[in-house]
Amino acid sequence: MHNNKYKILVIEDEDNINNLLKTLLETSGYQVLCAKTCDNGRMMFSSHRPDLVILDLGLPDYDGMTFLKSVRKDSLTPVIVLSARTDEKDKVDALDVGANDYVTKPFSSAELVARVRSALRNSRRSTIEGKLPGGRFKSGSLEIDYDARRVFVDKAEVTLTQTEYNIIAFLSEHSGKVMTYASIIRDIWGYNDLNSTKKLQVNMANIRKKLGDKPGKSNYIVNELGVGYRMCEVDESFSSFKYICGMSLVIK
Amino acid sequence: MKKPTEILKNTLITLTILFLCFLMCLVLKYIFNNSALVSAIFVLGVYLVSVLTTGYIYGITSAILTVLAVNFAFDFPFFTFNFTIAENIVSAIILLVVTMMTCGLTAKVKHHEAIRAERDKERMRANLLRAISHDLRTPLTTIYGASSALVEKYDDFSDEQCKEMLKGIREDSQWLHRMVENLLSITRLDGENVKIIKTETVLDELVDSVLVKFAKRYPQQVIDVDIPEDFVSIPMDALLIEQVLINILENAVQHAIGMTSLRFKVFTISGKAIFEIKDNGCGIPKAKLRDIFSGVYTTNCDVSDSRKNNAGIGLSVCASIIKAHGGDIKAENAKDGGCVFRFTLNMEDK
Repeated sequence: MHNNKYKILVIEDEDNINNLLKTLLETSGYQVLCAKTCDNGRMMFSSHRPDLVILDLGLPDYDGMTFLKSVRKDSLTPVIVLSARTDEKDKVDALDVGANDYVTKPFSSAELVARVRSALRNSRRSTIEGKLPGGRFKSGSLEIDYDARRVFVDKAEVTLTQTEYNIIAFLSEHSGKVMTYASIIRDIWGYNDLNSTKKLQVNMANIRKKLGDKPGKSNYIVNELGVGYRMCEVDESFSSFKYICGMSLVIK
Repeated sequence: MKKPTEILKNTLITLTILFLCFLMCLVLKYIFNNSALVSAIFVLGVYLVSVLTTGYIYGITSAILTVLAVNFAFDFPFFTFNFTIAENIVSAIILLVVTMMTCGLTAKVKHHEAIRAERDKERMRANLLRAISHDLRTPLTTIYGASSALVEKYDDFSDEQCKEMLKGIREDSQWLHRMVENLLSITRLDGENVKIIKTETVLDELVDSVLVKFAKRYPQQVIDVDIPEDFVSIPMDALLIEQVLINILENAVQHAIGMTSLRFKVFTISGKAIFEIKDNGCGIPKAKLRDIFSGVYTTNCDVSDSRKNNAGIGLSVCASIIKAHGGDIKAENAKDGGCVFRFTLNMEDK
């Protein structure tokens, strides 16, 4: 190791996008490795052990999903999928296979860097802290006390049902990451039937109301239509909060 | 492909026509005491059957029925089947051949009509593509021109000029992005007869997603939102409806001159969800209002102003999306100024 910068592996076959990502990430203080094919990417991955992977899905030799699946067999390294495919199904597939995030092309540079930062922070937190006793989650004015199973907004307690608490706790444990409907349902109810999604949506509607979320405002939980939900993280700086949550923050 | 109702309808048409022919022949034979008209009437009947029904089967079946009926009722000996008399057999064969040829002919005509409709559709598609390529060229000119100038003569420009050009590049690429999103919606629709896949979508989540995306593009624009407090779930292709709402909101921001308030309201009434977007801008001229959803491309006006064309394609995309959902979309000028876009979606999936 020559330095203590985070190493990011970019697997993308378009030269221009590759250059853009390299410049962007290097100026943000990361060390960048590039691969242009799936095979090459796998080789670089095992020899350099990057801290994060940015993966394009449309690669010349194999589909990026192949890489994702093979990485997920024995590694939890965060993977951000970068793709031109915008269908909900593609997103859900990638997230369910183990992608940490899904960014569609074209993307804004600030947004991508924010997503990278968030994914790195999450992986660090889950490996170091895990679910320690006395753990608390804090994001803006939202606070969760995991031991007491209580939730606060602006220091005032919010009364939630058992299921609602479980959902919010699950999302907060994976904050910054989009959790698909299926993965939330699997964790909360353990089984998946026809009405599960509806059940989840009704619970989410109640949670939103109780947290005082309003459509289109800076909310604690962001919904990705047809895909799932993401718990927002408030970063130290306002600007990255804005980009992680994909909305402009109204400063009162 | 063949539905039971269609089969029933065709069978009914066939039987009715044949029965009427038979009745007519009986009456005429009673009046003129002569069977001379019988063949002519039945040929006419079979011709009508093959024109009015779909497929060969009804025409041919009725031809055979006709031959049997004529042989049974109107050829000597009356009201018995007799295929031993050479004259009857010849007339039967002639009738059969004539009817079959009629069937073949009408089927051919129908086929030609289908081809022509297909060709018209192709031509419209080609027109649309031509117009779109034209429109894509405008932002590309800025992007290509500005970026190559920057690459080749970077040192000749002041910082201020560089920033201006880069801003132009960003603006026009965002415009391109929106255009591509609309085109993507068209491919997702993929012709009018393809059924879209509807999934239950929570209204709150849809509105939230639309507002978030809209705020990214127009952070300054305030929207008054009024949606039901209750949990409302509507079957739809959420990505497409999202596109519709963004297009309509964007249209207001770009074209409603003098607008100071933009309202977005959703309410439910007798099994329908009604979406309403109202601005208090300049309104829409009557002449334009009529075919605002048909796309500007067909009339070829406003070519000089590419941004107007963008709105044109945006709204025509809205119309096809709502149509594919089985809903209605309307634009009208409000009495108190400005205009209202309103569309409905069914709350139950049919």
